[in-house]
Amino acid sequence: MLKVEDLTVRADAVELVREVSFEIAPGERVGLIGESGSGKSLTALSLMGLLPEGVTAAGRATLDGRDLVGVPEGRLKRLRGRDLSMVFQEPMTALNPLMRIGAQVAEVMTLHGRGRQEARARALDLLERVRLPEPAHIARAYPHQLSGGQRQRVMLAIALANEPELLICDEPTTALDVTVQKQMLDLIAEVAPALLFITHDLAVVASVCERVLVMYGGRVVESGPIREVFTRPRHRYTEGLLAASKLTPRGTRLPTIKGSVPAAGHFPGGCVFRNRCPHATPECETAPALTGDGHAHACWHPAD
Amino acid sequence: MPTHAGTPLIEARGLNRVYRRPRTSLTKPGAAVHALRDVSLTIGRGERYGIVGESGSGKSTLLRLLCALDRPTSGTIAFDGQEITGRPERSLRFLRENLQIVFQDPMSSLDPRMRVRDLVAEPLVALGLPVGDRVAELLDEVGLPAAAADRYPHQFSGGQRQRIAIARALAPRPKVLVADEPVSALDVSVRGQILNLLADLVDELGLTLVFVSHDLSVVRHVCETVAVMSRGEIVETGPVDEVWAAPAHPYTRTLLQAVPTLEGLL
Repeated sequence: MLKVEDLTVRADAVELVREVSFEIAPGERVGLIGESGSGKSLTALSLMGLLPEGVTAAGRATLDGRDLVGVPEGRLKRLRGRDLSMVFQEPMTALNPLMRIGAQVAEVMTLHGRGRQEARARALDLLERVRLPEPAHIARAYPHQLSGGQRQRVMLAIALANEPELLICDEPTTALDVTVQKQMLDLIAEVAPALLFITHDLAVVASVCERVLVMYGGRVVESGPIREVFTRPRHRYTEGLLAASKLTPRGTRLPTIKGSVPAAGHFPGGCVFRNRCPHATPECETAPALTGDGHAHACWHPAD
Repeated sequence: MPTHAGTPLIEARGLNRVYRRPRTSLTKPGAAVHALRDVSLTIGRGERYGIVGESGSGKSTLLRLLCALDRPTSGTIAFDGQEITGRPERSLRFLRENLQIVFQDPMSSLDPRMRVRDLVAEPLVALGLPVGDRVAELLDEVGLPAAAADRYPHQFSGGQRQRIAIARALAPRPKVLVADEPVSALDVSVRGQILNLLADLVDELGLTLVFVSHDLSVVRHVCETVAVMSRGEIVETGPVDEVWAAPAHPYTRTLLQAVPTLEGLL
Protein backbone atom coordinates (compact mmCIF):
# COMPACT_ATOMS: atom_id res chain seq x y z
CA MET A 1 0.00 0.00 0.00
CA LEU A 2 2.66 2.54 1.07
CA LYS A 3 5.81 2.02 -0.91
CA VAL A 4 8.92 4.12 -0.30
CA GLU A 5 11.94 3.72 -2.57
CA ASP A 6 15.30 5.43 -2.19
CA LEU A 7 13.90 8.40 -0.32
CA THR A 8 16.64 10.99 0.16
CA VAL A 9 16.14 14.27 2.00
CA ARG A 10 18.58 17.16 1.62
CA ALA A 11 19.08 20.60 3.11
CA ASP A 12 21.36 22.34 0.62
CA ALA A 13 24.33 19.99 0.23
CA VAL A 14 23.74 18.12 3.49
CA GLU A 15 22.07 14.73 3.19
CA LEU A 16 19.75 14.26 6.16
CA VAL A 17 18.02 11.08 5.03
CA ARG A 18 19.67 8.73 2.55
CA GLU A 19 18.15 6.06 0.34
CA VAL A 20 15.42 4.94 2.72
CA SER A 21 13.17 2.19 1.35
CA PHE A 22 10.31 0.35 3.04
CA GLU A 23 6.73 -0.79 2.54
CA ILE A 24 3.64 -0.86 4.72
CA ALA A 25 0.83 -3.29 3.93
CA PRO A 26 -2.84 -2.52 4.74
CA GLY A 27 -3.50 -3.05 8.44
CA GLU A 28 0.19 -3.30 9.25
CA ARG A 29 1.73 -1.39 12.15
CA VAL A 30 5.33 -0.38 11.51
CA GLY A 31 7.60 1.41 13.96
CA LEU A 32 10.37 3.79 12.97
CA ILE A 33 12.85 4.19 15.80
CA GLY A 34 15.90 6.37 16.13
CA GLU A 35 17.51 8.98 18.31
CA SER A 36 17.50 12.72 17.71
CA GLY A 37 19.06 13.53 14.36
CA SER A 38 18.43 10.08 12.90
CA GLY A 39 16.10 11.48 10.23
CA LYS A 40 12.96 9.68 11.38
CA SER A 41 10.76 12.76 11.58
CA LEU A 42 12.02 14.08 8.24
CA THR A 43 11.11 10.76 6.66
CA ALA A 44 7.54 11.17 7.90
CA LEU A 45 7.31 14.84 6.95
CA SER A 46 8.49 14.14 3.41
CA LEU A 47 5.69 11.58 3.01
CA MET A 48 3.21 14.23 4.17
CA GLY A 49 4.76 16.90 1.93
CA LEU A 50 5.39 19.04 5.01
CA LEU A 51 9.17 19.47 4.86
CA PRO A 52 10.42 22.82 6.14
CA GLU A 53 11.55 25.52 3.71
CA GLY A 54 14.90 24.75 2.10
CA VAL A 55 14.65 21.00 2.72
CA THR A 56 13.88 18.86 -0.30
CA ALA A 57 13.01 15.21 -0.84
CA ALA A 58 14.01 13.03 -3.77
CA GLY A 59 13.22 9.42 -4.59
CA ARG A 60 9.85 7.80 -4.84
CA ALA A 61 7.00 7.21 -2.41
CA THR A 62 3.55 6.01 -3.42
CA LEU A 63 0.33 5.39 -1.52
CA ASP A 64 -1.78 2.94 -3.51
CA GLY A 65 0.02 4.03 -6.67
CA ARG A 66 -0.38 7.77 -6.05
CA ASP A 67 2.89 9.68 -5.86
CA LEU A 68 3.70 11.53 -2.62
CA VAL A 69 7.18 12.90 -3.35
CA GLY A 70 7.90 15.56 -5.96
CA VAL A 71 4.26 16.26 -6.81
CA PRO A 72 2.74 19.75 -6.77
CA GLU A 73 1.17 21.00 -3.54
CA GLY A 74 -2.26 21.16 -5.16
CA ARG A 75 -2.35 17.40 -5.62
CA LEU A 76 -0.86 16.62 -2.21
CA LYS A 77 -3.46 18.81 -0.55
CA ARG A 78 -6.20 16.48 -1.72
CA LEU A 79 -4.45 13.44 -0.22
CA ARG A 80 -3.23 14.94 3.02
CA GLY A 81 -5.77 14.63 5.82
CA ARG A 82 -7.88 12.32 3.66
CA ASP A 83 -5.82 9.34 2.51
CA LEU A 84 -2.96 9.77 4.91
CA SER A 85 -2.88 11.82 8.09
CA MET A 86 -0.54 12.53 10.93
CA VAL A 87 -0.57 12.98 14.71
CA PHE A 88 2.23 15.23 15.97
CA GLN A 89 4.15 15.18 19.21
CA GLU A 90 2.94 18.43 20.74
CA PRO A 91 -0.87 18.76 20.59
CA MET A 92 -0.78 22.25 22.11
CA THR A 93 1.04 23.67 19.11
CA ALA A 94 -0.74 21.50 16.55
CA LEU A 95 -4.23 22.65 17.54
CA ASN A 96 -5.58 26.12 16.84
CA PRO A 97 -5.97 27.84 20.23
CA LEU A 98 -8.73 30.15 18.95
CA MET A 99 -11.03 27.48 17.53
CA ARG A 100 -13.44 25.23 19.40
CA ILE A 101 -12.57 21.52 19.35
CA GLY A 102 -15.70 20.48 17.45
CA ALA A 103 -15.03 23.01 14.68
CA GLN A 104 -11.42 21.84 14.33
CA VAL A 105 -12.49 18.21 13.92
CA ALA A 106 -15.22 19.22 11.45
CA GLU A 107 -12.88 21.46 9.44
CA VAL A 108 -10.77 18.58 8.12
CA MET A 109 -13.97 17.00 6.74
CA THR A 110 -15.45 20.13 5.15
CA LEU A 111 -12.05 20.78 3.53
CA HIS A 112 -12.37 17.44 1.79
CA GLY A 113 -15.88 18.09 0.56
CA ARG A 114 -18.26 16.96 3.26
CA GLY A 115 -21.28 19.09 4.15
CA ARG A 116 -21.18 21.34 7.21
CA GLN A 117 -24.05 19.65 9.06
CA GLU A 118 -22.76 16.17 8.41
CA ALA A 119 -19.23 17.11 9.45
CA ARG A 120 -20.46 18.59 12.74
CA ALA A 121 -22.44 15.48 13.59
CA ARG A 122 -19.60 13.19 12.61
CA ALA A 123 -17.16 15.21 14.74
CA LEU A 124 -19.13 14.18 17.83
CA ASP A 125 -18.97 10.52 16.80
CA LEU A 126 -15.21 10.80 16.32
CA LEU A 127 -14.69 12.39 19.73
CA GLU A 128 -16.61 9.49 21.19
CA ARG A 129 -14.57 7.00 19.18
CA VAL A 130 -11.32 8.28 20.71
CA ARG A 131 -13.01 7.81 24.12
CA LEU A 132 -13.32 11.40 25.19
CA PRO A 133 -15.92 11.75 27.94
CA GLU A 134 -18.97 13.91 27.11
CA PRO A 135 -18.17 14.58 23.43
CA ALA A 136 -20.79 17.33 23.17
CA HIS A 137 -19.14 19.20 26.02
CA ILE A 138 -15.61 18.69 24.65
CA ALA A 139 -16.69 19.88 21.19
CA ARG A 140 -17.57 23.28 22.64
CA ALA A 141 -14.28 23.59 24.59
CA TYR A 142 -11.06 25.30 23.48
CA PRO A 143 -7.73 23.40 23.43
CA HIS A 144 -6.39 25.10 26.60
CA GLN A 145 -9.33 23.73 28.58
CA LEU A 146 -8.26 20.15 27.92
CA SER A 147 -5.46 18.09 29.45
CA GLY A 148 -2.48 16.95 27.35
CA GLY A 149 -3.92 13.46 26.97
CA GLN A 150 -7.32 14.81 25.91
CA ARG A 151 -5.71 17.13 23.36
CA GLN A 152 -3.80 14.22 21.86
CA ARG A 153 -7.08 12.29 21.56
CA VAL A 154 -8.54 15.25 19.69
CA MET A 155 -5.54 15.15 17.32
CA LEU A 156 -6.25 11.49 16.74
CA ALA A 157 -9.94 12.22 16.06
CA ILE A 158 -8.91 14.81 13.46
CA ALA A 159 -6.46 12.37 11.87
CA LEU A 160 -9.12 9.66 11.63
CA ALA A 161 -11.92 11.96 10.42
CA ASN A 162 -11.71 11.03 6.72
CA GLU A 163 -10.98 7.33 7.28
CA PRO A 164 -7.38 7.55 5.99
CA GLU A 165 -5.57 4.51 4.64
CA LEU A 166 -2.42 5.34 6.56
CA LEU A 167 -1.91 7.02 9.91
CA ILE A 168 1.49 8.49 10.78
CA CYS A 169 2.21 9.19 14.45
CA ASP A 170 5.33 11.17 15.36
CA GLU A 171 6.18 10.68 19.05
CA PRO A 172 2.48 10.97 19.94
CA THR A 173 2.96 10.11 23.62
CA THR A 174 6.34 11.66 24.44
CA ALA A 175 4.73 14.71 26.06
CA LEU A 176 2.26 12.60 28.08
CA ASP A 177 2.47 11.01 31.52
CA VAL A 178 3.06 7.25 31.53
CA THR A 179 -0.40 6.33 32.78
CA VAL A 180 -2.00 8.45 30.03
CA GLN A 181 0.50 7.15 27.50
CA LYS A 182 -0.65 3.57 27.99
CA GLN A 183 -4.29 4.43 27.23
CA MET A 184 -3.25 6.44 24.17
CA LEU A 185 -1.06 3.62 22.80
CA ASP A 186 -3.85 1.08 23.25
CA LEU A 187 -6.23 3.41 21.43
CA ILE A 188 -3.83 4.03 18.51
CA ALA A 189 -3.21 0.31 18.05
CA GLU A 190 -6.97 -0.26 18.01
CA VAL A 191 -8.09 2.45 15.58
CA ALA A 192 -5.16 2.81 13.15
CA PRO A 193 -5.92 1.51 9.63
CA ALA A 194 -2.22 1.10 8.81
CA LEU A 195 0.36 2.76 10.99
CA LEU A 196 3.78 4.34 10.73
CA PHE A 197 4.76 4.99 14.33
CA ILE A 198 7.79 7.17 15.03
CA THR A 199 9.45 7.11 18.43
CA HIS A 200 12.79 7.01 20.24
CA ASP A 201 11.36 4.65 22.87
CA LEU A 202 12.03 0.97 22.19
CA ALA A 203 9.49 -0.26 24.72
CA VAL A 204 6.76 1.96 23.27
CA VAL A 205 7.38 0.68 19.76
CA ALA A 206 7.33 -2.90 21.00
CA SER A 207 3.94 -2.38 22.60
CA VAL A 208 2.30 -0.98 19.45
CA CYS A 209 4.00 -2.32 16.30
CA GLU A 210 4.63 -5.62 14.57
CA ARG A 211 7.59 -4.58 12.47
CA VAL A 212 10.33 -2.05 13.09
CA LEU A 213 12.80 0.05 11.12
CA VAL A 214 15.85 1.25 13.02
CA MET A 215 17.28 4.55 11.74
CA TYR A 216 20.64 6.09 12.51
CA GLY A 217 22.39 8.93 10.73
CA GLY A 218 19.63 9.23 8.13
CA ARG A 219 19.70 5.58 7.08
CA VAL A 220 17.72 2.50 7.92
CA VAL A 221 20.38 0.30 9.51
CA GLU A 222 18.14 -2.63 10.45
CA SER A 223 14.57 -3.74 9.85
CA GLY A 224 12.39 -6.73 10.59
CA PRO A 225 9.74 -8.18 12.89
CA ILE A 226 9.94 -6.50 16.34
CA ARG A 227 10.53 -9.68 18.28
CA GLU A 228 13.31 -10.76 15.90
CA VAL A 229 15.08 -7.41 15.88
CA PHE A 230 14.79 -6.81 19.61
CA THR A 231 15.80 -10.28 20.73
CA ARG A 232 18.42 -11.01 18.06
CA PRO A 233 19.71 -7.63 16.83
CA ARG A 234 22.24 -7.86 14.00
CA HIS A 235 23.38 -4.27 13.51
CA ARG A 236 25.83 -3.08 16.17
CA TYR A 237 23.87 0.13 16.69
CA THR A 238 20.63 -1.74 17.44
CA GLU A 239 22.58 -4.02 19.73
CA GLY A 240 24.05 -1.05 21.63
CA LEU A 241 20.73 0.77 21.80
CA LEU A 242 18.96 -2.27 23.25
CA ALA A 243 21.70 -2.78 25.84
CA ALA A 244 21.65 0.92 26.78
CA SER A 245 17.90 0.99 27.29
CA LYS A 246 17.85 -1.81 29.86
CA LEU A 247 18.08 -0.26 33.31
CA THR A 248 19.87 -2.66 35.60
CA PRO A 249 19.50 -2.56 39.40
CA ARG A 250 21.50 -0.09 41.48
CA GLY A 251 25.23 -0.51 41.90
CA THR A 252 25.76 -1.95 38.41
CA ARG A 253 27.26 -0.10 35.45
CA LEU A 254 24.90 0.72 32.61
CA PRO A 255 26.10 -0.41 29.21
CA THR A 256 26.66 2.62 26.97
CA ILE A 257 27.46 3.49 23.37
CA LYS A 258 30.63 5.59 23.34
CA GLY A 259 30.56 9.18 22.15
CA SER A 260 27.38 10.95 21.12
CA VAL A 261 25.13 11.24 18.08
CA PRO A 262 26.96 13.57 15.62
CA ALA A 263 25.23 16.71 14.37
CA ALA A 264 23.52 16.56 10.96
CA GLY A 265 26.09 16.37 8.17
CA HIS A 266 28.86 15.20 10.52
CA PHE A 267 28.22 11.48 10.35
CA PRO A 268 31.21 9.54 8.96
CA GLY A 269 31.22 8.35 5.36
CA GLY A 270 30.76 4.63 4.78
CA CYS A 271 28.93 3.02 7.68
CA VAL A 272 27.34 5.92 9.59
CA PHE A 273 27.89 4.21 12.94
CA ARG A 274 31.56 3.34 12.51
CA ASN A 275 33.01 6.15 14.67
CA ARG A 276 31.05 4.84 17.68
CA CYS A 277 31.18 1.15 16.88
CA PRO A 278 33.42 -1.17 18.91
CA HIS A 279 33.64 -3.60 15.95
CA ALA A 280 34.58 -1.11 13.21
CA THR A 281 37.37 -2.05 10.78
CA PRO A 282 38.74 -0.33 7.62
CA GLU A 283 36.11 -2.29 5.68
CA CYS A 284 33.44 -0.08 7.28
CA GLU A 285 34.68 2.93 5.26
CA THR A 286 32.56 1.48 2.45
CA ALA A 287 28.85 1.85 3.11
CA PRO A 288 27.17 -1.53 3.74
CA ALA A 289 23.88 -2.16 1.92
CA LEU A 290 20.70 -3.12 3.78
CA THR A 291 20.53 -6.83 3.00
CA GLY A 292 18.46 -9.76 4.18
CA ASP A 293 14.96 -11.01 3.62
CA GLY A 294 12.48 -10.15 6.36
CA HIS A 295 15.10 -9.32 8.97
CA ALA A 296 17.58 -7.04 7.16
CA HIS A 297 20.66 -5.22 8.39
CA ALA A 298 23.33 -2.91 6.98
CA CYS A 299 26.50 -3.96 8.77
CA TRP A 300 29.81 -5.55 7.77
CA HIS A 301 30.31 -7.17 11.16
CA PRO A 302 26.85 -8.11 12.36
CA ALA A 303 26.13 -9.72 15.72
CA ASP A 304 25.11 -13.38 15.59
CA MET B 1 29.74 25.59 59.23
CA PRO B 2 29.07 23.19 62.12
CA THR B 3 27.81 19.75 61.19
CA HIS B 4 25.43 17.78 63.33
CA ALA B 5 26.42 14.22 62.51
CA GLY B 6 23.52 12.67 64.36
CA THR B 7 20.77 14.62 62.59
CA PRO B 8 19.44 13.87 59.12
CA LEU B 9 20.77 16.14 56.37
CA ILE B 10 17.37 17.29 55.14
CA GLU B 11 14.26 17.09 57.25
CA ALA B 12 10.91 18.44 56.06
CA ARG B 13 7.85 18.45 58.32
CA GLY B 14 4.24 19.06 57.33
CA LEU B 15 4.89 21.01 54.14
CA ASN B 16 1.90 22.66 52.49
CA ARG B 17 2.02 24.93 49.48
CA VAL B 18 -1.15 26.63 48.27
CA TYR B 19 -1.13 28.67 45.07
CA ARG B 20 -3.86 31.13 44.12
CA ARG B 21 -5.29 30.98 40.64
CA PRO B 22 -5.72 34.40 39.02
CA ARG B 23 -9.09 35.79 40.05
CA THR B 24 -11.96 35.41 37.62
CA SER B 25 -14.44 37.53 39.55
CA LEU B 26 -14.19 41.07 40.90
CA THR B 27 -15.70 40.16 44.23
CA LYS B 28 -14.11 36.79 44.99
CA PRO B 29 -10.47 35.76 45.30
CA GLY B 30 -9.08 33.23 42.79
CA ALA B 31 -9.42 29.51 43.51
CA ALA B 32 -6.80 27.88 45.72
CA VAL B 33 -4.62 25.10 44.31
CA HIS B 34 -3.10 22.75 46.87
CA ALA B 35 0.19 21.86 45.20
CA LEU B 36 1.55 20.13 48.31
CA ARG B 37 -0.44 18.65 51.20
CA ASP B 38 1.25 17.78 54.46
CA VAL B 39 4.46 16.40 52.97
CA SER B 40 7.15 15.17 55.36
CA LEU B 41 10.41 13.51 54.46
CA THR B 42 13.81 12.75 55.89
CA ILE B 43 16.96 12.43 53.80
CA GLY B 44 20.03 11.01 55.50
CA ARG B 45 23.66 11.87 54.84
CA GLY B 46 24.98 10.06 51.78
CA GLU B 47 21.53 8.79 50.88
CA ARG B 48 20.32 8.58 47.28
CA TYR B 49 16.74 9.70 47.54
CA GLY B 50 14.39 9.47 44.57
CA ILE B 51 11.15 11.40 44.11
CA VAL B 52 8.77 9.95 41.51
CA GLY B 53 5.57 11.45 40.19
CA GLU B 54 3.71 12.51 37.06
CA SER B 55 3.09 16.07 35.96
CA GLY B 56 1.02 17.91 38.52
CA SER B 57 2.02 15.56 41.33
CA GLY B 58 3.83 18.33 43.21
CA LYS B 59 7.35 16.99 42.75
CA SER B 60 8.65 20.24 41.25
CA THR B 61 6.99 22.30 43.99
CA LEU B 62 8.60 20.08 46.62
CA LEU B 63 11.97 20.49 44.94
CA ARG B 64 11.65 24.27 44.85
CA LEU B 65 10.89 24.29 48.58
CA LEU B 66 13.82 21.99 49.42
CA CYS B 67 16.14 24.30 47.48
CA ALA B 68 14.61 27.39 49.13
CA LEU B 69 13.59 28.79 45.77
CA ASP B 70 10.04 29.13 47.09
CA ARG B 71 8.44 29.28 50.56
CA PRO B 72 5.94 26.80 51.96
CA THR B 73 2.51 28.06 53.02
CA SER B 74 3.08 26.08 56.22
CA GLY B 75 5.58 23.55 57.48
CA THR B 76 9.32 23.56 58.10
CA ILE B 77 12.50 22.39 56.40
CA ALA B 78 15.78 21.93 58.23
CA PHE B 79 19.06 21.51 56.35
CA ASP B 80 21.89 20.03 58.40
CA GLY B 81 20.01 20.98 61.54
CA GLN B 82 19.41 24.58 60.48
CA GLU B 83 15.98 25.91 59.67
CA ILE B 84 15.79 27.27 56.11
CA THR B 85 12.12 28.22 55.80
CA GLY B 86 11.32 31.90 56.06
CA ARG B 87 14.94 33.04 55.91
CA PRO B 88 15.90 35.95 53.69
CA GLU B 89 18.20 35.12 50.76
CA ARG B 90 21.23 36.78 52.39
CA SER B 91 21.22 34.29 55.26
CA LEU B 92 20.88 31.25 52.99
CA ARG B 93 24.53 31.21 51.97
CA PHE B 94 25.21 27.95 53.82
CA LEU B 95 22.46 26.30 51.78
CA ARG B 96 23.63 27.70 48.42
CA GLU B 97 27.15 26.42 49.11
CA ASN B 98 26.01 23.00 50.13
CA LEU B 99 23.10 22.25 47.85
CA GLN B 100 23.32 22.56 44.08
CA ILE B 101 20.90 21.69 41.29
CA VAL B 102 21.11 20.06 37.86
CA PHE B 103 18.05 20.82 35.74
CA GLN B 104 16.28 18.77 33.09
CA ASP B 105 17.10 20.73 29.98
CA PRO B 106 20.73 21.86 29.76
CA MET B 107 19.86 23.92 26.67
CA SER B 108 17.74 26.29 28.73
CA SER B 109 19.63 26.09 32.03
CA LEU B 110 22.98 27.22 30.55
CA ASP B 111 23.33 30.81 29.33
CA PRO B 112 24.03 30.50 25.59
CA ARG B 113 26.21 33.63 25.60
CA MET B 114 28.63 32.47 28.28
CA ARG B 115 31.70 30.34 27.68
CA VAL B 116 31.89 27.03 29.53
CA ARG B 117 34.73 28.41 31.68
CA ASP B 118 32.50 31.21 32.98
CA LEU B 119 29.44 28.99 33.33
CA VAL B 120 31.33 26.53 35.51
CA ALA B 121 33.04 29.27 37.53
CA GLU B 122 29.89 31.34 38.05
CA PRO B 123 28.69 29.65 41.28
CA LEU B 124 32.18 30.18 42.77
CA VAL B 125 32.23 33.84 41.75
CA ALA B 126 28.70 34.35 43.09
CA LEU B 127 29.65 32.85 46.44
CA GLY B 128 32.97 34.72 46.57
CA LEU B 129 35.03 31.53 46.52
CA PRO B 130 38.44 31.29 44.79
CA VAL B 131 38.28 29.95 41.22
CA GLY B 132 41.94 29.00 40.64
CA ASP B 133 42.31 25.74 38.69
CA ARG B 134 38.87 24.55 39.75
CA VAL B 135 37.33 24.79 36.25
CA ALA B 136 39.90 22.46 34.65
CA GLU B 137 39.57 20.10 37.61
CA LEU B 138 35.78 20.00 37.28
CA LEU B 139 35.78 19.48 33.52
CA ASP B 140 38.13 16.55 34.03
CA GLU B 141 35.86 15.11 36.73
CA VAL B 142 32.85 15.09 34.40
CA GLY B 143 34.84 13.68 31.48
CA LEU B 144 35.16 16.76 29.26
CA PRO B 145 38.44 17.86 27.62
CA ALA B 146 40.14 20.97 29.03
CA ALA B 147 39.65 22.68 25.66
CA ALA B 148 35.89 22.67 26.32
CA ALA B 149 36.38 25.67 28.64
CA ASP B 150 36.73 28.11 25.74
CA ARG B 151 33.63 26.99 23.88
CA TYR B 152 29.93 27.87 24.10
CA PRO B 153 27.04 25.55 25.13
CA HIS B 154 25.61 25.27 21.59
CA GLN B 155 28.86 23.65 20.42
CA PHE B 156 28.11 20.59 22.55
CA SER B 157 25.67 17.70 22.26
CA GLY B 158 22.86 17.23 24.80
CA GLY B 159 24.82 14.73 26.88
CA GLN B 160 27.93 16.94 26.95
CA ARG B 161 25.82 19.94 27.96
CA GLN B 162 24.45 17.94 30.87
CA ARG B 163 28.08 17.21 31.86
CA ILE B 164 28.72 20.96 31.87
CA ALA B 165 25.65 21.50 34.06
CA ILE B 166 26.93 18.83 36.48
CA ALA B 167 30.42 20.41 36.59
CA ARG B 168 28.82 23.77 37.38
CA ALA B 169 26.71 22.28 40.17
CA LEU B 170 29.75 20.59 41.73
CA ALA B 171 31.90 23.75 41.65
CA PRO B 172 31.31 24.94 45.24
CA ARG B 173 31.86 21.38 46.58
CA PRO B 174 28.27 20.90 47.75
CA LYS B 175 27.13 18.14 50.10
CA VAL B 176 23.87 17.66 48.25
CA LEU B 177 23.27 17.37 44.54
CA VAL B 178 19.64 17.82 43.47
CA ALA B 179 18.93 16.48 39.98
CA ASP B 180 15.58 17.32 38.40
CA GLU B 181 14.89 14.87 35.55
CA PRO B 182 18.56 15.07 34.46
CA VAL B 183 18.27 12.42 31.74
CA SER B 184 14.72 12.95 30.44
CA ALA B 185 15.85 15.16 27.57
CA LEU B 186 18.70 12.85 26.52
CA ASP B 187 18.93 10.11 23.91
CA VAL B 188 18.93 6.55 25.20
CA SER B 189 22.48 5.92 23.99
CA VAL B 190 23.88 8.76 26.14
CA ARG B 191 21.48 8.38 29.09
CA GLY B 192 23.60 5.54 30.47
CA GLN B 193 26.76 7.68 30.32
CA ILE B 194 25.20 10.43 32.44
CA LEU B 195 23.67 7.99 34.96
CA ASN B 196 27.03 6.21 35.30
CA LEU B 197 28.77 9.58 35.76
CA LEU B 198 26.30 10.66 38.47
CA ALA B 199 26.76 7.35 40.31
CA ASP B 200 30.59 7.70 40.17
CA LEU B 201 30.55 11.29 41.39
CA VAL B 202 28.16 10.53 44.24
CA ASP B 203 30.47 7.70 45.35
CA GLU B 204 33.76 9.56 44.96
CA LEU B 205 32.64 12.81 46.52
CA GLY B 206 30.39 11.27 49.17
CA LEU B 207 27.41 13.31 47.98
CA THR B 208 23.81 13.09 49.05
CA LEU B 209 21.64 12.83 45.94
CA VAL B 210 18.04 13.97 45.55
CA PHE B 211 16.89 12.62 42.21
CA VAL B 212 13.55 13.61 40.71
CA SER B 213 12.06 11.63 37.84
CA HIS B 214 8.79 10.56 36.29
CA ASP B 215 10.36 7.16 35.60
CA LEU B 216 10.46 4.68 38.48
CA SER B 217 12.84 2.38 36.57
CA VAL B 218 15.46 5.15 36.34
CA VAL B 219 15.04 5.88 40.06
CA ARG B 220 15.42 2.17 40.81
CA HIS B 221 18.79 2.19 39.07
CA VAL B 222 20.05 5.32 40.83
CA CYS B 223 18.50 5.51 44.31
CA GLU B 224 18.09 3.42 47.42
CA THR B 225 15.04 5.23 48.81
CA VAL B 226 12.01 6.46 46.88
CA ALA B 227 9.02 8.67 47.60
CA VAL B 228 6.09 8.32 45.20
CA MET B 229 4.02 11.46 44.79
CA SER B 230 0.49 11.90 43.52
CA ARG B 231 -1.78 14.94 43.77
CA GLY B 232 0.49 16.83 46.12
CA GLU B 233 1.00 14.01 48.57
CA ILE B 234 3.65 11.38 49.19
CA VAL B 235 1.54 8.25 48.79
CA GLU B 236 4.29 5.72 49.39
CA THR B 237 7.88 5.81 50.56
CA GLY B 238 10.51 3.22 51.36
CA PRO B 239 13.51 1.29 49.99
CA VAL B 240 13.18 1.38 46.23
CA ASP B 241 13.65 -2.38 45.80
CA GLU B 242 10.72 -3.05 48.13
CA VAL B 243 8.48 -0.48 46.46
CA TRP B 244 9.42 -1.93 43.07
CA ALA B 245 8.81 -5.55 44.08
CA ALA B 246 5.71 -5.00 46.20
CA PRO B 247 4.08 -1.61 45.71
CA ALA B 248 1.68 -0.94 48.58
CA HIS B 249 -0.30 1.99 47.21
CA PRO B 250 -2.75 1.54 44.30
CA TYR B 251 -1.24 4.57 42.51
CA THR B 252 2.26 3.07 42.61
CA ARG B 253 0.86 -0.14 41.13
CA THR B 254 -0.84 1.80 38.32
CA LEU B 255 2.43 3.64 37.65
CA LEU B 256 4.43 0.41 37.49
CA GLN B 257 1.95 -1.31 35.20
CA ALA B 258 1.74 1.66 32.86
CA VAL B 259 5.46 1.76 32.07
CA PRO B 260 6.10 -0.41 29.01
CA THR B 261 9.23 -2.54 29.43
CA LEU B 262 11.01 -4.52 26.77
CA GLU B 263 11.38 -7.49 29.10
CA GLY B 264 7.63 -7.59 29.63
CA LEU B 265 6.75 -7.30 25.95
CA LEU B 266 9.13 -9.70 24.25
